[in-house]
Amino acid sequence: MDPSTTGIQEPFDLIRLSLSERVFVKLRGDRELTGILHAYDGHMNLILSDVEETIMMVDPVDENFEGQGTVKVAKRKMEMLFVRGDGVILVSPPSRT
Amino acid sequence: MASLQGYVDRRVLLVLQDGRVIVGTLVGFDQKSNVVLSESKERVYSMEEGVEEIPLGLYLVKGDMIVLIGEIDDAIDEAVDLATIHAEPILPIRY
Amino acid sequence: MLIFSVFKTLTDQRVTVELKNDLSISGVLKSVDQFLNIRLDSIKVLDETRHPHMMAVKNCFIRGSVVRYVQLPAEHVDTQLLEDATRREAANQTRR
Repeated sequence: MDPSTTGIQEPFDLIRLSLSERVFVKLRGDRELTGILHAYDGHMNLILSDVEETIMMVDPVDENFEGQGTVKVAKRKMEMLFVRGDGVILVSPPSRT
Repeated sequence: MASLQGYVDRRVLLVLQDGRVIVGTLVGFDQKSNVVLSESKERVYSMEEGVEEIPLGLYLVKGDMIVLIGEIDDAIDEAVDLATIHAEPILPIRY
Repeated sequence: MLIFSVFKTLTDQRVTVELKNDLSISGVLKSVDQFLNIRLDSIKVLDETRHPHMMAVKNCFIRGSVVRYVQLPAEHVDTQLLEDATRREAANQTRR
């Protein structure tokens, strides 16, 4: 795609164009968020609303079975959330499908 | 500035990165939130036994190691019999 | 700087700070600095039966670097204002 038409020249542009849209955020500690992006800064600190968090936990009892461990998934919702940037692995814009 | 000034000469509780809990009197601090405590004690928590207090005396804690500094309400603290408290230790910080 | 300003506007509001050691502490936001260190008053540790360690603590100073999340009171956050300010700051960054 031509950068002059998408307006995307550097990584942060992708995040800027996702403002007020629902984004997917992958975090350290096997956590994922989806939420509407309202603010970010250069540290990738984020402020999201209407957030759903998914935490993946591997049941340690089954861990010896060569990666066959049962993964427990916990979900919770939060209305308005500040996310500290040092935990952020990736921010992905909404799917356009 | 979220300063530590208000805590000088007060009894405080520190939670450290490795999960340890230390109580003492805050005698000083600096810009990097390095902290000096007097008459300090470590409180060791376990499920099997009540809380054990280990005297540490005059103690300097590096700011980088600190998770949280709380002001102790002495009336509440003295009303609690630590020997009856059974709890898991606080988890270490994981980035 | 933007996020620091947002926290300043939330002074005296009740927030819930979740730390990287899985402790969650709710309290009234008293002050914040440029490192996003936070001072909370009238604190309450969530799940206090599992975490009795801070029973006698009524206010505290939290190091910014150990914060994972802060749950904010949505009714006190102007999202339109936030987005405008974020775009302005992003524009300043590229123009520098």
